[in-house]
Amino acid sequence: MIEVSHISKTFQKDTVEVQVLRDISLTIQEGEFVSIMAPSGMGKSTLLNILGCLDKSTEGTYVLDGVPVHDMDDDELSRIRNEKIGFVFQSFHLLPRMTAWENVTLPLVYSDTNSNMKARAVQVLESMGLADRVDHLPRELSGGQQQRVAIARALINNPRIILADEPTGNLDSSSGEEVVRIFRQLHAGGVTLVVVTHDMDVALQADRIIQMKDGRIASDVARARQLEEVAT
Amino acid sequence: MRLLRMSKQAIRAMAENKTRTFLMMLGVIIGVATLTVITSAVLGARAEVMGKVEKWGIDQISVMAGAGRKPGVPQTIPTTLRIEDAQAMLSEIENIKDVSPQINRRDFPVKYAGNSTYGVLIAANPNWSSVWNTRPETGRFLSEEDTGRLARVAVIGKTVQKDLFEDEDPVGKQILVGNNPFEVIGVLEARGTSPTGLDLDTRVVIPLSTGQKRVFNQDYLFMIKTVLHDSSTMGHTVDDVRALLRERHNLQPGVEDDFTIVTPTQVMAIASKLSTIFSVFLILITGISLTVGGIVIANIMFIAVNERREEIGIRRAVGARKVDILVQFLMEAVSVATTGGFIGIIVGLIGLKALAGFIKLPTALMWESIVLALFSAIIVGLLAGIQPAKKAASLNPIEALR
Ligand SMILES: Nc1ncnc2c1ncn2[C@@H]1O[C@H](COP(=O)(O)OP(=O)(O)OP(=O)(O)O)[C@@H](O)[C@H]1O
Ligand SMILES: [Mg+2]
Repeated sequence: MIEVSHISKTFQKDTVEVQVLRDISLTIQEGEFVSIMAPSGMGKSTLLNILGCLDKSTEGTYVLDGVPVHDMDDDELSRIRNEKIGFVFQSFHLLPRMTAWENVTLPLVYSDTNSNMKARAVQVLESMGLADRVDHLPRELSGGQQQRVAIARALINNPRIILADEPTGNLDSSSGEEVVRIFRQLHAGGVTLVVVTHDMDVALQADRIIQMKDGRIASDVARARQLEEVAT
Repeated sequence: MRLLRMSKQAIRAMAENKTRTFLMMLGVIIGVATLTVITSAVLGARAEVMGKVEKWGIDQISVMAGAGRKPGVPQTIPTTLRIEDAQAMLSEIENIKDVSPQINRRDFPVKYAGNSTYGVLIAANPNWSSVWNTRPETGRFLSEEDTGRLARVAVIGKTVQKDLFEDEDPVGKQILVGNNPFEVIGVLEARGTSPTGLDLDTRVVIPLSTGQKRVFNQDYLFMIKTVLHDSSTMGHTVDDVRALLRERHNLQPGVEDDFTIVTPTQVMAIASKLSTIFSVFLILITGISLTVGGIVIANIMFIAVNERREEIGIRRAVGARKVDILVQFLMEAVSVATTGGFIGIIVGLIGLKALAGFIKLPTALMWESIVLALFSAIIVGLLAGIQPAKKAASLNPIEALR
């Protein structure tokens, strides 16, 4: 599903060059649930943005679903984001003046579908347990509910991949558990999931845990191994 | 479909911040309102002038006594233009079909019972009615017999009738023209204002002979109005008239004409000058307000782009292309400007109504003016929106989302 090889990313800040990712190679199979952990500022979000075709690596290749995307132009990448990828962010990133269902339909605005957008949005919101919050504005919802609206938005176009950047970072523990439960359901349904998190409890829900350090992959182990390591 | 969905969102964005949207619209509203007023007024005025000139007669030229005369502008006149000149013009110039020699005097006092008013006193022959294409509505016009016996009879215009008689039937009544008693024998049909702004219904027409001997005590004329057979050769006829009159008045080469020949084109030019001054002023207001309106829209759009960085980032993340963002912000600018344009048209129409109450402004609601107003609003929206929209489209989604 996801194959990146030897990618690196350098940010140009004024005259200083900051190398955030160094020679990262990574393969994620279809349907895998992977979590990425690292201390702050180690390049987790940068990697996730590249995986999500929001950003481009400075070097290296990226083959997504059998298609090389590293030399696609901006419009082609936009289409891939729209069709294949759903983003979930730490701070939800909902449009404040739009109701829950309108926020959820946002990806459909830029897709080729002509179906009844509201009906689809309501259906996905129901599956998130938000049937009675369809017409609410984000500020009328709790953090956990807002994040579930954001997940519904990520899912509306039936993407094959969900990328989540600290999805539980702004949530209390019970809301966080709810989000994790939803991720497990999605995983069971065959969606490929990559979750960046600081929270070991969240990370341990994944099949596979990747640790980063100084822009490199420090360890990449299955959950069983990680459990052992945590135990010792 | 995609465009339809995006335009819905643009209209929503406009409704979301009403104060700001109104501010953005203000310049366009003012600009388009004045534009509506101008085009309607100018087009209306032009249509009316054309109508009047047609009534005045496009196959007619007038010879006014005195050099450098302008229609509608009073000045002292020489004594050289005479009734014999009129007769000579009719008999010697082939293209002249008819002539109306006449003496005019403005602001002449006319009285009846306790009422008094001022009119344009015209001493003319019975053919005045056909030459000026103005017939009596009630009663009769002057006859050859009236002329022959220097009759003290008068045909009056509608305004004079209203001022002196109100609802009374004036025919057969005695009025005072200056200090001379005259019998009203008819009332002229309404003519409105002349192309130069004179109320034609204040005219009081008496026989030329009576006017010369009993009122003005002069044998020279004020003007000779002529009707032509063929108006396409008007230029030649004007030359012929000039040559004939110069010869009859013994003017040596190099000496200025002692008369002025006025053609319908000149009348039109003078009339349109009036509306030109007015419209130049309004075009200035339009230009300034549309420019200011455009600058305001552009600036507020720049602020909005900055404030909505997160929104732009989100849209890009869920699949919006750069052009989608560009089009979204452009549509917002254009819909604000167009809505401002619609409001401006309404304000302009209300303004026209109000203006019509003050000055006698010919107003015609013209489709051209509405199309022009909307078109300029859209152009302003596009010009004002393009730079902010480009900025929005080129935002890096990663930085917009941080
Ligand atoms: N657009 C950018 N321009 C310059 N530097 C950047 C840019 N984006 C990220 N960086 C730098 O790259 C490094 C990695 O950033 P990144 O956001 O990927 O870290 P992170 O691991 O997600 O951290 P956190 O846990 O705090 O979210 C940081 O030092 C950051 O300052
Ligand atoms: Mg991060």
